[in-house]
Amino acid sequence: MSAYITSSGIISPQPTYEGKGFPAMVREVVSDRLLCLEPDYKELINPLQLRRMPRILKMGLAASKLCLNRAEGINPDAIIIGTGLGCLDNLEKFLIELLDTGEHVTSVIPFINSTHNAVAAQVAMLLKNHGYNMTYCHRGLSFEGALIDALMHVEEQTAVNILVGGIDECTDDFVHIHGYHHYWKMTVSNLQLYEQHTMGTMAGEGSAFFMLSSDPKTGEDVYVKDVHTFLAGEDSLYDLVTRELEWFLNKAGISREQIDVAITGMNGDAGMDAIYDSLSKDYFIPGTGIARYKHLCGEYYTSSSFALWLGALILRDQFIPPDVVHTTSVNKSLKNLLIYNHIRNKEHAFILMGHGAI
Amino acid sequence: MHHRVFITGLGIISAIGNGTEETLASIRKLKTGIGLLTNLDSIHAEIPVAEVKHSSAALAELIGFDTSPDTTTRNTLLALVAARQTLESSQWNKHPDIRSGLVMATTVGGMDFNERYYKSLLASEEHKDIIGLLDSADCTEKVAAFAGIRHGVSTVSTACSSSANAIMIGARYIRNNRFDRMLVGGTDSLTRFTLNGFLALEILSPTGCRPFDQNRNGLTIGEGAAFLVLESEAVADPSRIIGELTGYANANEAFHQTASSSDGAGALMAMKGALASARLSAGDISYINAHGTGTEINDLSEGRAISALFQPHIPPVSSTKGFTGHTLGAAGAIEAVLSVLALQHQIVLPAINFEKPMEELRFRPADRVLQQNITHVMSNSFGFGGNNTTLIFSDTR
Repeated sequence: MSAYITSSGIISPQPTYEGKGFPAMVREVVSDRLLCLEPDYKELINPLQLRRMPRILKMGLAASKLCLNRAEGINPDAIIIGTGLGCLDNLEKFLIELLDTGEHVTSVIPFINSTHNAVAAQVAMLLKNHGYNMTYCHRGLSFEGALIDALMHVEEQTAVNILVGGIDECTDDFVHIHGYHHYWKMTVSNLQLYEQHTMGTMAGEGSAFFMLSSDPKTGEDVYVKDVHTFLAGEDSLYDLVTRELEWFLNKAGISREQIDVAITGMNGDAGMDAIYDSLSKDYFIPGTGIARYKHLCGEYYTSSSFALWLGALILRDQFIPPDVVHTTSVNKSLKNLLIYNHIRNKEHAFILMGHGAI
Repeated sequence: MHHRVFITGLGIISAIGNGTEETLASIRKLKTGIGLLTNLDSIHAEIPVAEVKHSSAALAELIGFDTSPDTTTRNTLLALVAARQTLESSQWNKHPDIRSGLVMATTVGGMDFNERYYKSLLASEEHKDIIGLLDSADCTEKVAAFAGIRHGVSTVSTACSSSANAIMIGARYIRNNRFDRMLVGGTDSLTRFTLNGFLALEILSPTGCRPFDQNRNGLTIGEGAAFLVLESEAVADPSRIIGELTGYANANEAFHQTASSSDGAGALMAMKGALASARLSAGDISYINAHGTGTEINDLSEGRAISALFQPHIPPVSSTKGFTGHTLGAAGAIEAVLSVLALQHQIVLPAINFEKPMEELRFRPADRVLQQNITHVMSNSFGFGGNNTTLIFSDTR
């Protein structure tokens, strides 16, 4: 049921949209949030359409366009998107107008654009695509839901090429309100996100699209092998996570010794990083490359789409960029890569990637 | 690969009742759930809606464990009421070892708490404890906790086709051998957000919706929740099987963000796709539970697509939204439950408020309960963004 990643397009807080691989110079931001470096949208989207287009739609359409431009004109058989919060900015706009005017709203556009599936629908409209169209909105499991759906299509042989995206936007209100729970560090350099060992992380955002295919494109042999998600309960987190991981790896037919690289969702919040630290220390064998990425894109519900992009680069280049190395750099051939991310210790997800022949 | 997917449990709450019995009784009595607002506080009190009659406090009591309307959104309360019935009807807890998952749908999520607390949250942290309830995943995680489900938990949000998609995805989880049992469904509570949104779109009926009527004048929004339990052939106890999900398809019209094309191309693709997936032909369908919102454009495009696919022998067609209103993210699940009830009781469900057939169509909706042989029911759900989904439920007797 594996699916090859045959192209990608990503807009993130780092210089990534040009598709030149891992950035030569990582961008430093001192703030409580990391916002995207956005491309000149006029080069990717019809300027007439751009005028009143909400930012998240621009980010979604542009990243999908970048991905499609690199996919040799393929019109996908399915479009599947994960977004933890959907079109949050427009939802807030309509809500605030409604509350401020005592229900005398005058503008319907934010309501239309607030629908969670607006990005997937707009991408389909752009491509005149009549295929399967789905949107998953479940916090830290949104992008994973979309990936699982894509893998099922490959298994069912109902689609050959599937456009899968992970997208979330950061808004002032979201950061402000979630700040009450100390989810963010007040002001920090993203390059020192992991140094403080305090509560809180940096808010983030991004839009990452991938063409997944049951057919490998010549020269591209990075694939998504499987995805597994679970919710934590009352039991010991370490026991739960290792039990789920054993089950997942066993199903995929590999052992923990065969994991060459693990990308964790470490985000600099001491309470949330504990499980990643424990796994790095006690679960993965010495010599496993451990990488992390949230200092590059911030914390958001679909940040695992950034991790997937990073994982694909690592496998393609057979190299872990020093900027993302956590504990161990490795000099061996990299075949199996695991992404493990969780949101606030509650929603947990594994993505298993591979390199070479499936 | 082509595992059969059986239905072993149902639960529903809507404006026409709590539970399948009350729901069916209202339908047999042709009793609509559409009326004036009693629970939701809105200045648009003159607009008819299909509101669940229970207050949020009354819903909390129905759930049967410690829950409070102060700490649980109405959206989640509705979901828990329907989920509880569903789990009981399938004897869910008797088989804790079956690999089980949950795919749920909602469009409004915690919007009622957003309406209540958002301004206050912008100003101070007084209500910070409810921040986790504001999004679309809260209802799903509450239902997951209630059912004891920890794997395969997803929330789908594709506007008005959301919960039909949740059902389809649940069935695919089983067919892909990821799970043997899935709780699938959806919930949406009435909110000022959606009421004002649809009002601003100028598609709300001032009188109550009348699907497929020449003089239809818009949709009526409603609220509710419904779930089904789907089980694989390997684990389903034959004595508890009440139907089978045999076909499904999702297609995208890619025509307009909020309207369907007048020829119904998207609807046609979804219906044809579902027939193909069920390996059935149009002539096998005994009854179509249409999307039938009562808007000018939906009923024309869907009606044309039905005519194109089924004529000359168009089976009985009706939209049950005259009873339940359009429950948005819950509609696909509510109508799936109604479709299975039609199979179980071998009846065609009627449309109400119907008077005059549409000039453009060759069929008129069924307008009374018809007792007849029902083997396959088609249920349509279409949403904003051109998201069209069709499900087919089949008799297993």
